Amino acid sequence: MPAILEIAGVRKAFAGIVALDDVALTIAQPGIYGLIGPNGAGKTTLFDVICGRQLADSGTIRLAGERIEALRVHRRARLGISRTFQECRVLLEETCLDNVLFATQDKRLGAELVQTATRSTRARDAILAEARRLLALVNLDAYANAPAAALSYGQRRLLEIVSVLATRPRILLLDEPASGVNPTLLVTLRDFLRRLYDERQIVFLVVEHNMEFIMSLASHIVVMHQGRVLAQGAPAEVQASPQVIEAYLG
Amino acid sequence: MRLPLATLGVLALLALLYLLPIIAPGELYALHILTLALCYAVPAIGLNLLFGYTGLVSLGHMGFAGVGAYTAALLMKHGLAGFVPSLVAGALVAGAVGLLVGLPCLRLRSHFFIVVTLAIGVILNTLFNNLDWLTGGAEGLPGIPRPQPLDLGLMVIDFRRPQGFFWLALTVFAAIFLLQHLIVRSDFGRSLAAIRQDETVAAARGVDVFAHKLAIFTISAAMAGVGGALKVTFLRAAAPLSFELMESINLVMIVILGGAGYLLGPLIGAILFIALPEALRVANELRLVVFGAILVLLALYAPRGLCGLAAALIHRLTTIGSLHARHP
Amino acid sequence: MLTALIEQVINGTMIGAIYVLVALGMVLIFGVMQVLNLAHGVLFMLGGYLCHFAFFKLTGSYPASIALAMLVLAVLAMALERAVFRPLRDSMQMQIVASLGLILVLQNSVVAIWGPNALQMRIPTAEAIVRLGPLSFTQQHVIIIGAVAATVTLLYLFLTRSRLGTAMRATSQNADAARVVGIDTNRIFLLTFAIAGALAALGGALLGPLFLIFPQMGDLPLLKALTAIVLGGMGSVPGAVIGGLAIGIVESVSTLFIPTDFRDTVVFGLLILTLLIRPWGLFGVRVRGEA
Repeated sequence: MPAILEIAGVRKAFAGIVALDDVALTIAQPGIYGLIGPNGAGKTTLFDVICGRQLADSGTIRLAGERIEALRVHRRARLGISRTFQECRVLLEETCLDNVLFATQDKRLGAELVQTATRSTRARDAILAEARRLLALVNLDAYANAPAAALSYGQRRLLEIVSVLATRPRILLLDEPASGVNPTLLVTLRDFLRRLYDERQIVFLVVEHNMEFIMSLASHIVVMHQGRVLAQGAPAEVQASPQVIEAYLG
Repeated sequence: MRLPLATLGVLALLALLYLLPIIAPGELYALHILTLALCYAVPAIGLNLLFGYTGLVSLGHMGFAGVGAYTAALLMKHGLAGFVPSLVAGALVAGAVGLLVGLPCLRLRSHFFIVVTLAIGVILNTLFNNLDWLTGGAEGLPGIPRPQPLDLGLMVIDFRRPQGFFWLALTVFAAIFLLQHLIVRSDFGRSLAAIRQDETVAAARGVDVFAHKLAIFTISAAMAGVGGALKVTFLRAAAPLSFELMESINLVMIVILGGAGYLLGPLIGAILFIALPEALRVANELRLVVFGAILVLLALYAPRGLCGLAAALIHRLTTIGSLHARHP
Repeated sequence: MLTALIEQVINGTMIGAIYVLVALGMVLIFGVMQVLNLAHGVLFMLGGYLCHFAFFKLTGSYPASIALAMLVLAVLAMALERAVFRPLRDSMQMQIVASLGLILVLQNSVVAIWGPNALQMRIPTAEAIVRLGPLSFTQQHVIIIGAVAATVTLLYLFLTRSRLGTAMRATSQNADAARVVGIDTNRIFLLTFAIAGALAALGGALLGPLFLIFPQMGDLPLLKALTAIVLGGMGSVPGAVIGGLAIGIVESVSTLFIPTDFRDTVVFGLLILTLLIRPWGLFGVRVRGEA
């Protein structure tokens, strides 16, 4: 069984500044993986390179054995790599339900155009029920027909996460899900994420600055420093590692 | 406009329009104005799909209408094809030109893309004006025949008469309107709406943004081609002035005035644009000053046009204690 | 043949200088505010009309008329920024729509007031001949090239040596950072529009006496200036200068080889070619993600 995600020898530089320097990372099992590191460690760049927003200068990225490092964003999304954004992006003019439905629809242009002419209901009802169920998981079912613009910031975050989950990804990249969320709601957010993970049992890769949040959520931690992977392991292990402590303090 | 009520309303409106020549048989001038409005409404639907639903600004769209117009004109004038095949040919050629333009240009950033559409419109118009051997140059191609009368058994529709051609124009418009409806309601339309709201999200959810933009740009150009063909058949002549830069700006105004992103926007905008000046009977320049001012005011205060204002009004009147009130 | 070429190069430099004036205004507005002001052509046209009006109805002095036209247009441009472009800062599509509306309003107001026919402005400098070997040009040619050269120099000094100019450059690089260091970006935006308006007016006032003054006189210069700033690089001031001159010269020289009717097509073909091969222009900054 090939690893779910295998990154080897990845380099990325911007105008002379090296953001990723020979990154190697293998994720073999489903789980919640936390990606941490001091500012400038390369976490966001690694995210961008994994999902295709940036193309690596060199190196390989394998998704279940298949090489994807040259594919564009939408191709990788269809293969099963979905992400949320740090600034929280949802379709504000669409209802919560439509946000989730849009995520589930087959995005291939051919399929969409054929559907224009055939317009059959097909498995519509099942998809609708599933979408409502996902919204209910994060207590948004009451807002199913409200535009996303009407939600609070925290609610939009949850909408973004379930929309992405609805695409049935193999890897879900969460970019700082706790940022901007009211501290009193962080425990709720963490529990929601755990609940969602139990739903799908896929790979969650979470970039986070909030140590308490990520340490209590993740089963594995990956530490980056100066464009490389410094350490990985269980939270307690990583927190005790002298290398990691030095990287943060030094 | 998800309510079936809206669909019933549109069907009723169409039925009313079809009955107009029978209800008011003497109003030939009004019929003429409405027919002209329909000739603008068709390319406006194309621009509406492009701008209102997908968010792409095209400032040279009447250029594509011209391509369709001249194609159809040449076919009909030389007796090579009837009205419907010529219309289809016009759509195909205009669509092909749209595809050729879109392929290299849709990848550009939005400011650049807008400038390119402007340039394309000007280039196309220059070609219409100067390729005398093909387009007749500045004089254009006069003498375009109307389609042969249609024998329906119960009655014969003579397209050389105002009522007959009005029905023809209305039918062409209805067909394009139906196409607009199908696209907007489909998954393809939903992807377009996503692209308009947030391209990054659309791509992250698996949408091939470039392919979608290219597809809608081509369809939009083809629709403009249909409109152009209809217009020159109505006017019985094809001339470059019908497709110059000013006309492209008028088309933008029609879409904005009626309401970009609304199904009925193009029709309402076209009727107002054509009919209102006739009703007001003021000097041409003052009319245009007023239109310009309306455009600026719309941009500032009512970017969703008349349909948008109507929708907001209906929403306010029919929604009590909405979610909006609890979460401003 | 050589004399014809030199003649067209000099003609091209003259008309290119005019394009430079329009392009500079547009590139400043785009660089500082990321606004594509399509109404710039009508500002240019108004410059010509106001200069004509001032010359024949107010003062009899050409320089004073130019100055008056520049002043009025600077104020008008500021009013447009405040009333139209600032509220629409978040929506590029609506800014474009509003620009189109402004074009209609201003162009047709001129037709309503002055009539649709072209005006003539016969002044001594447009009549007086300057000889250069076998070639002859009007004094106006020389004045235009000289005036634009002086203007570009002054603008350069302003942008690099003065506090306001430096503030403008800072705002164009990063408006948020500029605000943080205390620059009043709203004032900078007003100033940018004012300068752009004045430059456009100068262009119209200088060109008017050479050809004719008519309501559509700004339409083609707008498109040529757009081509110039794309060619030079959308945020680059030196790019606008070189782009404008290049367009003018290419356009004039091309009339030796192809029919004049297609002269404009050549320029727009150049625009499209640039956008396809090198969209960031000669001196522009290549944005991450662009091919």
